[in-house]
Amino acid sequence: MRLGKRIISAYFYLFMLVMYLPLVSLLAFSFNDSLSAGFPWRGFTLRWWEEFFSDPVALIAVRNSFVLAVAVAVVATLMGLGVAFAIVRRVFIGQNVLLSSLVVPIAVPALLIGISLFVLLRVELGLELSLFTLAIGHILVALPYSSLVLMARLIGFDRSLEEAAQDLGATGFTTFRKITFPLIMPGIFVSMFLAFIISLEDAVIANFLVGGDLTVPMFVFGRLRRWEGLPMAMALSSFMAVIALAVACIFLIRAIGPRLPRPSKA
Amino acid sequence: MKDNTTIGEREVSIFRKMKKLVYYLRLAPGVFWLVVFLVLPLSAMFIYSFWTMVNFELIPTWTLQNYLDVFVRAEGLYLKLLFKSLGMATAVTLGAIALAYPAAYYISTRGGKYKYVLLNLIMTPYLVSWVITIFGWRMVIGYSGLVNTLLMSVGLISEPMKMWGNWMTVIFVLIVSWTGWLVLPIFVSLEKIDRTLLEAGEDLGASPSENFRKITLPLSMPGLLIATFFVLIPTFGEFVAPILAGGTTGAMIGTAIESAFKRMHDWPFGSAMAFLLVIIALITSLVLIRKAGLRTLMESL
Repeated sequence: MRLGKRIISAYFYLFMLVMYLPLVSLLAFSFNDSLSAGFPWRGFTLRWWEEFFSDPVALIAVRNSFVLAVAVAVVATLMGLGVAFAIVRRVFIGQNVLLSSLVVPIAVPALLIGISLFVLLRVELGLELSLFTLAIGHILVALPYSSLVLMARLIGFDRSLEEAAQDLGATGFTTFRKITFPLIMPGIFVSMFLAFIISLEDAVIANFLVGGDLTVPMFVFGRLRRWEGLPMAMALSSFMAVIALAVACIFLIRAIGPRLPRPSKA
Repeated sequence: MKDNTTIGEREVSIFRKMKKLVYYLRLAPGVFWLVVFLVLPLSAMFIYSFWTMVNFELIPTWTLQNYLDVFVRAEGLYLKLLFKSLGMATAVTLGAIALAYPAAYYISTRGGKYKYVLLNLIMTPYLVSWVITIFGWRMVIGYSGLVNTLLMSVGLISEPMKMWGNWMTVIFVLIVSWTGWLVLPIFVSLEKIDRTLLEAGEDLGASPSENFRKITLPLSMPGLLIATFFVLIPTFGEFVAPILAGGTTGAMIGTAIESAFKRMHDWPFGSAMAFLLVIIALITSLVLIRKAGLRTLMESL
């Protein structure tokens, strides 16, 4: 039995190592003074990082990614709030239909979401592809996550608190500001975080909807596909990984509290 | 007097109806989005799958040829791809769950007060784009990667192994990249198991492995179903990994759909394949979510 416990501990440490191995290698090789990605090690250099920070295309991709992710986070969460409140607090015709169709964007591979939107927006409506069309797709995929997270929060909500506030003379808006909002705040936070990450890391929907505007995953995808200019792409990738780690640290510091929420990898 | 009250009541009831209507307005943006950007595009794709494309122009012909083509075109190549993708997705699902289960079990039983810290640590790499993760794996198991260099310097191999660029690479990369993702749903279901059941089993003379087989495993089933849902569906439609890690043998149905749209410009044929995929994915998801419950899905987010 003791042996069994040791094996499972050892397995767990190995598991953690494997989770971080690819990102750590990227970071390490981004300092390698070599034109090719990988070994042999030719000495330490910062030139790939300098190249990244002085490359306008890469910087625009970074800016695009973050602007898009923030916009998607805000819009999807607002929509999700509306949907969650109505579903949890009211009974209406078509509620189950709505609930099932909410799951569809998760239950269909992202590739197909991207293609079907491409068919509608580009082929049928003839729109120019841009960050704007991509935002449409990202909001669609983020909406189910936002709604489900907020619904989970609202289901466990004690409504007598709101009633008490109103009995004590609070107006509808005051009740929302002082009671409802603070109580669902964690849900809103998680929803925005999920939507933000879904948008930030997507390369599949972007492949069909982004057109000429580059995002970071598309930038890296393009370079990997053509297998060129990789050292700088490594610096850029590591930069994104470091930011992700920093974001996770915020959760880790408040650690024992909230669990890091998880977006779709689809 | 009587008339007055009726009017009053009527006003109140109209007011109530208005209020109700205003309340449901908050549904409008979400419903609008789902209808216009989900239902409509999928329907458009469905319609296109019956059309034909001649000289880059769509012609509404209403034919079943595109679906027939999925089965017969290029000597059944696409049909083979479809089955191959199903097989690969199944292998990835089984592999990823098998690797994730012990890790989730460890956190649940031995994590103590660090449970959530450990879970967060496992989730963190998933904040990075999938493309970047694959890039990283190439640095690890690629031709001039970490593993080859390490093995060569120890003298176990004299030449770098070709581990990158075939169908096994795709499966491997997908398994190791998905597995951390599945720790959470499995963990959640393990946490819900009443420990006294295990003690009862022990008291009645069950061995630890019997306890695991007859109590822990069946009770963690909802988590396993949601985990299956999380990997199986996206893997089935995967196209990033086959392109970046698959070489010539790693192609999947997703790759074929992508090239039908982006390279061959045969949208109707691409739509037919895509729609078959939608149907398979939706039916599978429906079965899995039904069995596991929407509640389990919500808790696993």
